[in-house]
Amino acid sequence: MRGRTHEAHEAILGRLNRRLRILSQCASMFFQAESEQELLQSLCEILAAGGEVRLAWIGYCEDDAEKTVRPVAQAGSGLDYLERLQTSWAEMETDQDPAGTAARIGKACWVNDIRTDPRFSPWRVAALARGYASCVAVPLVARSKQRGAVDLRGTLSLYSAECDVFDESAVEHYAGLATSIAYAVTALRGHLAEDLAYGVTALRARAERKRAEEALHQAREELAHVTRVTTLGELAASIAHEVNQPLAAIIADANACLHWLESDRPDLDSVREALAAVVKDSHRAAEVIIRIRALLSRSSVPHRPCDLVDVIRDVLLLVGPELGRHGTILQTSLAPDLPPVMGDRIQLQQVLLNLVVNAAEAVRDVPPERRRLVVRSTFEQRDDGFWAVVAVEDAGVGFSAEQAARLFEAFYTTKAGGLGMGLSISRSIMDAHRGRLWATANADHGSTFHFALPGMP
Amino acid sequence: MLPTEPIGSIPRPAALIEGIQGLRAGRISQPELDALYDSAVQDTMRRLEATGSPVITDGEQAKHSFATYSIYGLKNLSPDGLPISFADGHIRHFPRLTSGPFRYKTPADVYLEMAQRYAHVPLKQAVISASALSLLYPQGGIPGYSREEYLDALVAEQEGEIRRCLEKGAHVVQMDFTEGRLSIKLDPTRRLLHSFIDLNNLVLERFSAEERKRIGVHTCPGADRHSSHSADVDYAELLPNLFELQAANFYLQLASEPDRKRVLKMIRDHAKEGQRIFVGVIEPLNPRVETPEEVRDRVLEAAEYIRPDRLGTTDDCGFAPFSDDTSRTRETAFNKIRARVAGTAMASTALGLG
Repeated sequence: MRGRTHEAHEAILGRLNRRLRILSQCASMFFQAESEQELLQSLCEILAAGGEVRLAWIGYCEDDAEKTVRPVAQAGSGLDYLERLQTSWAEMETDQDPAGTAARIGKACWVNDIRTDPRFSPWRVAALARGYASCVAVPLVARSKQRGAVDLRGTLSLYSAECDVFDESAVEHYAGLATSIAYAVTALRGHLAEDLAYGVTALRARAERKRAEEALHQAREELAHVTRVTTLGELAASIAHEVNQPLAAIIADANACLHWLESDRPDLDSVREALAAVVKDSHRAAEVIIRIRALLSRSSVPHRPCDLVDVIRDVLLLVGPELGRHGTILQTSLAPDLPPVMGDRIQLQQVLLNLVVNAAEAVRDVPPERRRLVVRSTFEQRDDGFWAVVAVEDAGVGFSAEQAARLFEAFYTTKAGGLGMGLSISRSIMDAHRGRLWATANADHGSTFHFALPGMP
Repeated sequence: MLPTEPIGSIPRPAALIEGIQGLRAGRISQPELDALYDSAVQDTMRRLEATGSPVITDGEQAKHSFATYSIYGLKNLSPDGLPISFADGHIRHFPRLTSGPFRYKTPADVYLEMAQRYAHVPLKQAVISASALSLLYPQGGIPGYSREEYLDALVAEQEGEIRRCLEKGAHVVQMDFTEGRLSIKLDPTRRLLHSFIDLNNLVLERFSAEERKRIGVHTCPGADRHSSHSADVDYAELLPNLFELQAANFYLQLASEPDRKRVLKMIRDHAKEGQRIFVGVIEPLNPRVETPEEVRDRVLEAAEYIRPDRLGTTDDCGFAPFSDDTSRTRETAFNKIRARVAGTAMASTALGLG
């Protein structure tokens, strides 16, 4: 008697041990599975391999006309049984298998002996043929105060080869497992949404940043354009004079030609010479206009190789007459073999034009002997390669230490009526060219503004 | 006249389906299959034009499926991705990306070019949405290729695909967004839907307002064989968010809805000004061919809720989104389209539109 009791206890202990082992394997799968399908299939496989059940399957409720419980994962022996099952969770009093009933009422439903339970009669023959003696179906639902209610609208169904396997403790055990499945699936579904949301948010942030950068770039371009136009406005009188000179010469030469052609024996050599002068002066006027139009243009171009000597020459041709009008002497000291730099020619012209116009203004009210500017170009060998350096030196009013700290700030100006944007924009242009712009006070009078650009190898 | 457009797919001819299987079994060569594709496209377009359709498609004859045409044949895919369950019990598995980088293999403009050789009326081109393809990326991630890198590549690929279709002269480019309703099934909190919409907008925002006038979005419960994957999801869950998509045209399944008036009311309440609504007036899953009068009545019903200048008609869905789908016949599809065109014309007359 005691021996039989002992054997019974041993059997219960063995069964509990098996269930604990299965539960432990299932628990680790909750952390390992990367997708819902993988999780459900793995759980069915673990359950079927555990020894207690011959067939494990998980079904989800469909909202079709038949209210089907559709198998989504299954493992064990006699899988073809599911093809015949046609489980439905529709409202019905009879002929509803445990999975359909559990899904409908939201509670576990089990059959202790398939051979005798009248509820199972429609599937008895097929089940017995596959060695199933008892079964249980638990709904995939979870309810807790902390995590709220989850209903996957599905069931976990287990079929055993032995009768009476699914006692109260077993049902409680598998209902607990179903609760964990419900939470794990919800978490996996949530991960999909979260993972995607994270990726999309990052992408959106990048798109917004790019849009902001483009807007900033465009605003800078607009501002640079405005300051170019403003600077050219300051030079308007000189530019008009510069264009007017060749035009006056053209008129004079053309009149002379007309006069010569009216005589009986026109002096064709003189006519030819005058017409050649007309062509030359036309080109001169056209060049001035081309340079101005380029500076007035709004569009920026991709950086390409630029010869800084050409940049300097163009700017000095434009600004030269203005300097002359105010009695300012312009000197140049240009290195003959300056390396080309990568850049936007118009933007580089703008920087130099701004520096020369500033320098011209700085010497306007100083004694005549100090009204001079020197434009220098040099190249320097540094650790990171050759650099082309351009400097504009004047002997004007210079700047104080306090002013030096603010020279490149936007809207900071020492000139009456100045915008205070010229040097700020010039520095941003240099930054965009991976170059530098800085100012130094001269030992005696005035200041020198320098910009340096990396030379092309 | 009210505009009327097809969604895209037409069942493939038996010879083509047999040819596709024949290539897999090694019975025919790729050039032989290509000839079958070409012939199917030509025949489909000729018959679509014969229905009187003012806008046609190539019937997606050469596409493997509406969702996977651009990635079909890529080496860095495995077939065991996200399972998509249909109401009749069958499951289609979406592929899974196994490694980066990600690139389309056959973008939609390739199909467009092929079809343009045979088109005599404006040609519409369908593309799969970025949100659908976002599901390729596995939940567990890919070592050395982050989800962000993948999404970045995906958005760039789709922008390029749509832009090329527009540049090559597509009348309109339709983004297929059948996973909108599916997303609610996968994640009832609708966070997934919001991410889908946000992702698609990242693509759409790369186009100007003028370009977006030629871009549309199609949504339906995802038909395949005799079934769909998300008809049980209430439209009320989707529609309020759907119109946040930055497209100018919406092609909405409607004919098969159990309560059309309720859906039309939602469309009226949520669609934004400037968005044209092409309502589905044909049920591809229903083998019975609608009469033009039925179509006319469906259009007039819709016109009670949507101003005629914002209204158009379409089919609820493609007639064979997957190339192996033989559940409908080509004849039925063409007859249904003919009914749509005729019924839309009748409704236009009734509405005084010509």
